[in-house]
Amino acid sequence: MFLRLLYQSFRRQQRRKLLAGIAVTLGVAVATAMIAVGVDVGDKINRELRRYGANIVVYPEDATLQVRVGDQEVKAASAGTYLKESALPNIKGVFWGRNILAFAPFLEAQVQGPSGSVRVLGTYFDKQLRFGTEDFSTGVEKLYPWWRVQGAWPKDSSTDVLVGSQLASRVGKRVGDSIDFSGVSARITGILSSGSTEENAVVAPLALVQRVAQVPDAVDKIYVSALTKPEDAFARRDPDRMTVADRDRWYCSPYANSIALQLREIFPGARAEQIRQAAQNEGTVLSHISGMMLLIAVAALIAAALAVSAAMATTILERRQEVGLMKSLGATASTIASLFVCEATLLALGAGVVGFLLGDVIAQRIGQAVFHSGVSITPVLLPMVIFLALLVTIGGSAAAIRRALKLDPVLVLRGDA
Amino acid sequence: MSVRASMFFHVLKRGLLGRGNRPLIAFIALSVAATMITAMLSLYYGLEKKLNRDFRSYGANVTVAAPDGQQLPSDAVTHARSILGPDAIIAPFAFAIAHTSNDQAVVVVGTDMDQVRRLNAWWSVSKWPGGDDQALAGARAESHLQLTQASFDLNFAGRALHLQQAGTVKTGSDEEDRVYVPLTTFERWTGIGPSLLEVSASGSHDQITTAVFQLQSAFPVMQVRPVRQLLQTQGGVVSRMRSVMLASTLLIALTVALCVFSTLTSSVLERRRDFAVMKAIGSSQVTVNALFAGEALTIALCAGVLGYVVGSAIAAWISQANFHAVVMPQLSVLPLVILADVVLALLAATIPLARLQRIEPAGILKGE
Repeated sequence: MFLRLLYQSFRRQQRRKLLAGIAVTLGVAVATAMIAVGVDVGDKINRELRRYGANIVVYPEDATLQVRVGDQEVKAASAGTYLKESALPNIKGVFWGRNILAFAPFLEAQVQGPSGSVRVLGTYFDKQLRFGTEDFSTGVEKLYPWWRVQGAWPKDSSTDVLVGSQLASRVGKRVGDSIDFSGVSARITGILSSGSTEENAVVAPLALVQRVAQVPDAVDKIYVSALTKPEDAFARRDPDRMTVADRDRWYCSPYANSIALQLREIFPGARAEQIRQAAQNEGTVLSHISGMMLLIAVAALIAAALAVSAAMATTILERRQEVGLMKSLGATASTIASLFVCEATLLALGAGVVGFLLGDVIAQRIGQAVFHSGVSITPVLLPMVIFLALLVTIGGSAAAIRRALKLDPVLVLRGDA
Repeated sequence: MSVRASMFFHVLKRGLLGRGNRPLIAFIALSVAATMITAMLSLYYGLEKKLNRDFRSYGANVTVAAPDGQQLPSDAVTHARSILGPDAIIAPFAFAIAHTSNDQAVVVVGTDMDQVRRLNAWWSVSKWPGGDDQALAGARAESHLQLTQASFDLNFAGRALHLQQAGTVKTGSDEEDRVYVPLTTFERWTGIGPSLLEVSASGSHDQITTAVFQLQSAFPVMQVRPVRQLLQTQGGVVSRMRSVMLASTLLIALTVALCVFSTLTSSVLERRRDFAVMKAIGSSQVTVNALFAGEALTIALCAGVLGYVVGSAIAAWISQANFHAVVMPQLSVLPLVILADVVLALLAATIPLARLQRIEPAGILKGE
């Protein structure tokens, strides 16, 4: 009998059920979309912030002090020490290798050019590298997306170069010209404007600078851009003074400091430091944005809960006459209440699943529109959202059921209540 | 006032005040809607400002550099200050290569310590210099030059300078290779003036770009450049967050509107008997509609104002908790919120009324 009532309720009151169902579906969809976007936005903004450039630098432990003011430079008396270029692909193999978005090595040389001394920077532009079975490409094009090149980027295997915009205007060079230094005649494929000191230099493929400076396999500095977790008090602790368990946890967290330590392990005699300007400040921005999105997801949850419970309350109050009839036919309050709760449960389950799928679509749309990449939704969210939908649907109905049950059936059936 | 009009207002008043807590439900629903919409819109407008402020902590967003070998005019800082206002941070830098007592070269930088401290809050500094003869040594400079004693000497062009070491600076980049001294001391010692201004102008990507143009026209000979690295990142993050916030605001507003709509519709439908009685005793369709609309309008206006106040408070609280800075109530949001509330209330009142009009009053009164 109970099941028949339940079945008929859905069959006969299709319009009403549809309205309540739509409310639950929309509520769940909005909640799902906002939670998904809120959780994922941190990661998305983190990648956006990485466009700022490197946040970790690796250089030889005993590198000499850089003593340069404008064009004036004092060369250190001792021979420089270098890192090995051949070890570079191993960067992808560190514990947090997946988080390393880009890196670029730099080798600097001061050479005699057409009009005095010229600073030449050797680097990777977009170099194909291989680590294990994984092929990847990296270089300044990825590391410094704000570098603007008028003309074309040189190939890493060529002897083509970029010339900084200030240097180019000083020596009167244009794209397509060639620039001679240390017995090499390099073709200029592009003019670089970076807003920084590179504008006064020639940027060349690393191999070319190694040949000119006669230091094979050598690299001065490596700039690394890694996705990191904002620094907290735990991140700032000294790993050498931690307990083994703490140290493991520190080592396995993607802090800038722990990734720097992992990088140091693949370059013997190197120092790796976080670049504080990038690492510290992106933490602030990131935590603010994540906090904001969390609060907005909560607001969306509250709004969805309100919408669902209001819709449920309305549909039940519209059915007072039914309650009056059942009561006068001898149904107990608990039977009636359980009928309504069962209806609400079925509605929440059905509409919850549909709402989750719809929310997924909305989240993907937002992700594509704003970040040009999809939003990852963990399947764990589904049971969570269904549970919330149940809670809100039943909770929203409860007050209305209580009110409907309190009414005198006689008055309800006469239409006076 | 005509009899008709005074009767209309009397019925309207009784409809609002004489029905116990029935109008209260509509009022609460509309207030919640107004609160949510106000809070989201205020945060939406405030977010950009907050994020722009966050990005200022990266340091300079504009640099003014003298051509190689030249110096900035002596009034450069005050001139830049008069253009950019008191909100900007302007730090002058002067550079020289000096030698230590065992003839090692090091870059010495003269600067305004207070401004640098505000400009680069991300520098990790053990202790900022206080006095004229106190210096801040970069971490690598300190270890390479063995500046471990409390005081050391530097030589520039035959002139010695005796300095007390106040603290060490760690940044992870070029600053660590240098020694920083107060600008006045530096100028007296070397006779070299500042050749670089690092400026942190406040505001959005566009406002900073404007500042660049203003500075360029004030210093035509100097190279005024935006720090593109920072500006591009800032522009990207801010515009993306703005879109995310807009999408969230729309979604939440839609949900709340749905909630209000279903509540109001049912409260109008519950009053079909009032509707039938009015028609039965001869009021015209227009009057009845005007009455219901008038009720909805009054409730919506009051709820809009209350919601605006509560919503602004919530937005202020959220930004205080998250950004540690209050979002001021945005007056421009108020008309938007009230308009949204009124449209919502009128829609929710007219749709069920249109349905009721098709029914004979007699049928409703008989309870069918």
